[in-house]
Amino acid sequence: MMQTDFPALPLPWPTDDMAQQELAHLGGNPVIGHGFRKTLFPVITKEDVLQMQISILRNHSNSEAQFTEDYRNYVGAKYAIATASGTSALHLALVGAGVTPGDEVIVPCFTFIATAQAIVAAKGIPVFVDIDPVNYCIDVAAVEAAITPRTRAVMPVHVHGLPANMPALRQLCTKHGLLLVEDASHAHSAAIDGTICGALGDAAGQSLMADKNFPVGGEGGIAFFADEAKYKRARAFLEETGIDYSMSGIVAAFGISQLKRLPYYDAIRQRNAAYLTAELAKTGLFTGPEVPATYVHAYNMYRIALHPAAVGLDDLPIHAVKGAVQELLVAEGVPAREWQNKPIPGHLPFQNRQGFGQGYPFTLSQRDFSEYSLDRFPNALKMLASTLTLCRELRSPVETERIQSYALAFHKVAARPDAIRKLATENTYPLPYERDGRLG
Amino acid sequence: MTSGVVMSIEKNDRQLPGLETQIRNKVDRQYVALFNSVTGAIHAALHGQQIGFGSKAVFPRVSQREQKFLTWLGVGIEESTSIPRTYGMASIAWQDAGTTLDAAVAAVSHDKVQVLDFTELGFGPCAAIATNDEQIWKRAERLKIFGAFDLRTMWSQAESEPEIQPTIQFNYRLSPLVAACVRQAIQGNQ
Ligand SMILES: Cc1ncc(COP(=O)(O)O)c(C=O)c1O
Repeated sequence: MMQTDFPALPLPWPTDDMAQQELAHLGGNPVIGHGFRKTLFPVITKEDVLQMQISILRNHSNSEAQFTEDYRNYVGAKYAIATASGTSALHLALVGAGVTPGDEVIVPCFTFIATAQAIVAAKGIPVFVDIDPVNYCIDVAAVEAAITPRTRAVMPVHVHGLPANMPALRQLCTKHGLLLVEDASHAHSAAIDGTICGALGDAAGQSLMADKNFPVGGEGGIAFFADEAKYKRARAFLEETGIDYSMSGIVAAFGISQLKRLPYYDAIRQRNAAYLTAELAKTGLFTGPEVPATYVHAYNMYRIALHPAAVGLDDLPIHAVKGAVQELLVAEGVPAREWQNKPIPGHLPFQNRQGFGQGYPFTLSQRDFSEYSLDRFPNALKMLASTLTLCRELRSPVETERIQSYALAFHKVAARPDAIRKLATENTYPLPYERDGRLG
Repeated sequence: MTSGVVMSIEKNDRQLPGLETQIRNKVDRQYVALFNSVTGAIHAALHGQQIGFGSKAVFPRVSQREQKFLTWLGVGIEESTSIPRTYGMASIAWQDAGTTLDAAVAAVSHDKVQVLDFTELGFGPCAAIATNDEQIWKRAERLKIFGAFDLRTMWSQAESEPEIQPTIQFNYRLSPLVAACVRQAIQGNQ
């Protein structure tokens, strides 16, 4: 039988009195009942199916070329290569930009592990720096402090979809003669002053895998280049190594039809994020992301900061408050999660530094790798201890009643500091980064 | 169509395990791992046997492409006909009797590690490795970010098997959409 993810019934209409009812954790009704918790994405329509049939009938490279051109145009980048994944796109972006074996690349300690693994793939040395405590992206002052004669590139990540401080990073890179390579994997349609992420750096890599705001057929990515020399260097690298990073035509076909839908997906996310941010601001305990004027946040994820002092819980360790709140929210049907619990230098591949084998390319560097220790990243540690994330909960077609239900659940939990205190003191919550590192 | 068809790291995806099972039955090997390109599969065949930067692989002869790729990996090549080759590789294309899955399987039936390349079927880059050695398979999976290991644990780093710690990792995950097409193609020809 054909498997379906389509929900059996719609989510019941939320009512304000739900926020006053007993917490689900204490036996009350959850705001979002079991069986109503899944969100569907992406929206797949007949155009996707037909476009895929066209792709199968046509030569594959046509679909790949059309997709690359359509999306490059949308982003406004000069050159592009569609790839099999975001990780391979980042690898190509670094190589194309001009990173060579042994070069240091400055990267935030807080990102998905693939950002840093792409640097190793390019045979570069990841130099991790702390994040900014407000936008959770790479800290510009920390970047400047980390520059050495071997630094070749700075690789900001537009974390969760909020663009990093690119104007300041550009200034810094110009001053020191460094390359600026974006990881735009969370930042589809995100922008600064109207320029879309992917077109801000000297090169960029972006994931198009199925969990991203703009998904192609399952797995995919794209690399962008600001000039022809960089694009050609990336192409020459593929030729020289024989590596097959190419995007499947079927996957590209899905991207062609989905791209037409991206503005709709984006509008829904913006609407949902604006609503949730306004609602959280009324709770005292929670706040949503801060977005600078002229920046567009893509909200691939939505990170929520906790303010225990606002509800009289500041005598407790903040990570215990976070742990308790997470439990209470999950019981209400809100899948609040950590998304990363440990800075990347603390993950095994950067602790063992085996790389391609025999420690290569780390062996090319004279650096003291005891610097891959967590205590050097206090802002990231603080963020991990005091925030929670929504991952798939803002995306289209998350219905009005669902985003309202999420907001109600946050109100409901924020109104019960007594229950939070009880949980936070009775349970033991280890610090997130003292647990095993998790990918997502 | 369901979102499970297009989401490789979703627990309810059935396309990738389905293709693995189909290949496993055909090649009569216990372990199969899927990759999004033949170079990914070659990398895994080497990595699975702990052949990495600074070590050597053995072949009677290699293609120009393999030569280029192994050079990039920093893996040396020893040309020998007396030692069993590091892996056997065959391509499936359905162009004639010589490029069917059966023909490919026969061509690598004596190899400890088999690399099967499905790219020529025309659905996009797609390859697999097959082996009876569990350790090789585990290490090969570990080369993929969100491979079978990472998926089971969401990557718990408390390793019960320290010899297969993740080192370098690539996104060699195959799209379930491509897997679904390859499944259909193989089924039609059995
Ligand atoms: C920030 C970031 N960079 C890179 C990647 C790697 O992309 P992919 O999984 O498509 O290889 C991801 C997501 O998976 C990501 O979240």
